Amino acid sequence: MVTLQNKDGSPLHPAVNYMCEKMPRREIDRRGFLRTIAWLGVSVSSARAFLELPTEAHAQPVKIGGRLRFACAIQEISDPALAAWTEGANLYRNCLEFLTEVDADNITHPYLAESWKPSPDLTVWEFKLRKGIRWSNGDAFTSEDVRFNVERWTSKNSKSSNRTAFAAISDFETIDTHTFRLHLNRPVASLPEQFYAYTCPILHRTFDDTGANWPKNPLGTGPFTMTDFRVGRHAIFRRREGYWGTPAFLDEIQYIDMGTDLAAQVAALAAGQADVLYRLTPSELDLLAKLPHAKLLEENSAQTLVLRMQVDQKPFDDIRVRRAIVLAADNQRMLSIAYRGMGIPGANHHVAPMHPEYFPVPPLKRDVAQARSLLAEAGYANGLDLTLTLGNTQGKWEQDTAQILQQNVAEAGIRIKLNVLPAAQYWPVWDKAPFALTAWAHRPLAIMTLDLAYRSGAAWNESHFSDAEFDRALDQALATLLPAERSKTMETVERRLQDSAVMVQPYFARNLAAASANVQGHRAHPSQYYRMDRVWLN
Amino acid sequence: MKCRRHSQRQTSVSALCGAAAVIGWLLVAILADLLAPLDPLKSMTPLALPGATGEGGVTFWLGTDLLGRDILSRLIYGTRTVVVLSAVATLSAYVLGVGAGLFAGYVRGFADTALSFLANVMLSFPVLVLYIVVITAIGSSATNVVLAIAFGSAPVIFRVTRALTIDISKRDFVTVAIGLGEARWRILASDILPNAAGPLTADMCLRFGYSAVAVGALGFLGLGPPPPTPDWGSMISDGRGLAIVYPHLIVFPCLAISSLMLAMSLVADGLHQLSLAR
Amino acid sequence: MGRQPPVLRLFSKAVGGACATMLAVSLLVYLTLEFNGADVAAKVLGPFSAPDQRYAWMREHGYLEPLVLRYLRWLANFVAGNWGTSTYYKEDILALVAPRLASSSILAAGALIVIVPFSIVLGVISGVSEGSALDRAVSSAAILATSLPEFASAALLTALLVFWLNWLPGTSTMSTGFSWRELVLPIAVLSLSSAGYIARITRASIIDVMASPFVHTARMKGCSWRRVVLRHALRHALIAPVTLVLLQIPWILSNVVIVEVFFAYKGLGTLLYEASLNSDIRLIEACSMVSVIAVVSTQVLADVIHGRLNPRIAPWADDALRSRA
Repeated sequence: MVTLQNKDGSPLHPAVNYMCEKMPRREIDRRGFLRTIAWLGVSVSSARAFLELPTEAHAQPVKIGGRLRFACAIQEISDPALAAWTEGANLYRNCLEFLTEVDADNITHPYLAESWKPSPDLTVWEFKLRKGIRWSNGDAFTSEDVRFNVERWTSKNSKSSNRTAFAAISDFETIDTHTFRLHLNRPVASLPEQFYAYTCPILHRTFDDTGANWPKNPLGTGPFTMTDFRVGRHAIFRRREGYWGTPAFLDEIQYIDMGTDLAAQVAALAAGQADVLYRLTPSELDLLAKLPHAKLLEENSAQTLVLRMQVDQKPFDDIRVRRAIVLAADNQRMLSIAYRGMGIPGANHHVAPMHPEYFPVPPLKRDVAQARSLLAEAGYANGLDLTLTLGNTQGKWEQDTAQILQQNVAEAGIRIKLNVLPAAQYWPVWDKAPFALTAWAHRPLAIMTLDLAYRSGAAWNESHFSDAEFDRALDQALATLLPAERSKTMETVERRLQDSAVMVQPYFARNLAAASANVQGHRAHPSQYYRMDRVWLN
Repeated sequence: MKCRRHSQRQTSVSALCGAAAVIGWLLVAILADLLAPLDPLKSMTPLALPGATGEGGVTFWLGTDLLGRDILSRLIYGTRTVVVLSAVATLSAYVLGVGAGLFAGYVRGFADTALSFLANVMLSFPVLVLYIVVITAIGSSATNVVLAIAFGSAPVIFRVTRALTIDISKRDFVTVAIGLGEARWRILASDILPNAAGPLTADMCLRFGYSAVAVGALGFLGLGPPPPTPDWGSMISDGRGLAIVYPHLIVFPCLAISSLMLAMSLVADGLHQLSLAR
Repeated sequence: MGRQPPVLRLFSKAVGGACATMLAVSLLVYLTLEFNGADVAAKVLGPFSAPDQRYAWMREHGYLEPLVLRYLRWLANFVAGNWGTSTYYKEDILALVAPRLASSSILAAGALIVIVPFSIVLGVISGVSEGSALDRAVSSAAILATSLPEFASAALLTALLVFWLNWLPGTSTMSTGFSWRELVLPIAVLSLSSAGYIARITRASIIDVMASPFVHTARMKGCSWRRVVLRHALRHALIAPVTLVLLQIPWILSNVVIVEVFFAYKGLGTLLYEASLNSDIRLIEACSMVSVIAVVSTQVLADVIHGRLNPRIAPWADDALRSRA
């Protein structure tokens, strides 16, 4: 019988034994088990052996060398902590690393941190860093670098979204050069997983002193160095000597900005001008299918669109109006037409069935007649005129979804006019427009998103939703370790959000990307976080 | 000589064909509600091929687009968008340009220099650059498209009218009228304008075609009327990614806009021949 | 024929006019885009800036001063070559625009190189054999070419040559260095409508000249067909087309935007388009000024040549021919 071990050999967290008992009784599924004990510091390989899962092995021998061309928007990345787009993060991900890594199955692995251990009440977390890591300028990597970053994220002046995400951290305690402790003001079970968010790479401790502009001085601990960077054009990375881990397989990666036209990018793939495409939408699937030397990469993802209403603006301050819109909307139809059915229908509470803490709160049944009567009650018997603002930040499928909603609610007498802005002009107004469509990226835990978007006064609360009971339930969920118990708390969370009819959240869209047939080791990631050091060319 | 007459007849035949086509499109635009078999805004079966049938036994004669809307109906209603927008834009440009041109060409002097200079300034912009700058400043909508195109076309019309006015003013009958002491505006209205009407009408037809193309171009760049308004330019832009697999997405709007432009060119040619013959 | 004015006087007159025009253009561009200083601050500082941050930025960059002073300062900077920094690309604008201008010039030059011989030869052939089947074929092709808008011909040609026949690459990003193959489609699309247009004008011009008395005289004198065409007819018939070719440049510079956007070609057109999508005010100003300079320079050139050659076409037709807005 294989026993579980912590990564650092220390005694197991009390909850681990509890979960081991639950496992054979099928009260937790395997995935949930692996995820949760990974947070608690247990070594994943011992866990896999415990579950008698096969070890992962490469199907083919790896080929070293070669140059990969990746078509991707090249955005400005001066301060990674302020990154608002994942494309930019994929660039610095080659040079900068994170404390932990979350794989495509949402399981947390060690990265810069070798091991970690929470206190029994989950408010003190001790992290041990790997030894022997050096920055690209030769400096040793120590807990001072981590301290610099954590304090930077959580400082009062920080404009980063990390400030909200790590609001629970109240103190950083350095134990020695490779050990530190984080003190939290409330228990958080999933802390290690949050360190892989794209805004959390560890920067060199002199970052602010040297001008706070990473491309000008691209120091990193990662397997590549950046040799050239031009916004809107390209970014080039070469394999670096002196990396602490297994050297990367590729010699060079070229990220090339080929514009926003995805059909043109597929054409580039066909003509051999690119090897990997960052993202596709269902519109390009037929085109891709025609190419013999290209393959589609897809992955289930919790990325979604929220067509949210600000609950403190007329006419949305009247819950009957919001409920009318939500009842008239046909989420399944939006999925099947605007995204070709490639996803999971949403139930307007922003928690996906793939999330471990999901509680089955089913979607509302479409009821146009009731929508009409609610509108009449609210004083709009002759119909209602609304404007929906959107920016197509993730692609044209956003406006396609909006057009289907237009058709749906037209049956209830609501006339929606679309105000389509270019993406760069949408961001200044995304949280100001009373009725807008925003795309939300995948996060491995639904509560991370709910914390950022629906908690009273949260940084990204675009709908101004504020409900004390919701906040309480959310706090409870964040502190609960076992998936089954968390789910029960989540029922309250989900129901309150759905009943408040804050938004139409039609579906969770599968993540689609494409690569040339000779690209190996590259897998679609639900959050589009791509590590390129395990990719090779055949 | 025989060749000359033959080619002249060719021109009149093609001009008549062009005129018939234009009238045809105008009728389509006016009678769109009667002609369109289905609702252009309603989504049914996505990416159906031309001739396929959908739910409820309806036939998609030209297929459906990415969102399942009938292309034939969208093409018909799109005619309305194109025709209305370019007609309003062209007429506004004409009112502005002809008015200013008549005035400047007849009165001359400082007003003429100032207006000509202004027209030159506007004409120094490549047309699409002007449209992009204007629409960036005032936003994109159907009204703003009309404004941008009217604003962009007026200087040319001003120039043409002004040159015509100057030319006609030199003619004998105008000198006589001035000598007789007729009022300025009367001369402009009853003597100069009718004589300028011929070449101006030919120009107007051509300009209507250019405006239609401009409406399409702005729709293509995403600077036109908002979705889901049927518009040939945005139909082409939406469909071009899938054109190889579903050519019907772009072939029909391309044919539509080319035929309209072609028809207008033929009519303009014919009118030009007519005015020359006179 | 009348006295031909000396070239130098023509040139200085044209240049003087051009400078006055450019000044007015700069005023127009500046007013359209920077009338309201607070809007500019919001666009530069980004989505999460606070009102007091914007006020501080406005004070620092002189946006609290009266409009006239702001304009004059901007103009002085522009003439001196300080075009500012792009808010989207975060680079010096002059350094950004120069290579893009070169790229667009390659497209425009390529288009002209294709248009001139093609259209003139085709126009002459069809004009000379007026009424024949060849003439009808060429005329129909020409009128078809002018009727097809650039975005339509680009879509059709791409579907045919790229995806169906696989002869050419679908985008022209030049990501792997300069490539002639990637220039073929953009130049073809750019040339089509102008070539058709000039072919038709050339044809009309040839027909006019061929019917004129002095050509008849030459024929009656016993000159061969070929000599008539080459010696006499062409020289007179080509006056209009030559100036027209120069005047196609504004038309080409306008359509180059659509072609570049369609084929993802990194030229001035895509730069302007992206600048407008990202509200990059300084960059929009720079791009529009540069394109206007290009147009005005060609107009100066055309005026000089025009004045020199002294065509005998009716003035109104001349204006109509010059302008295809």
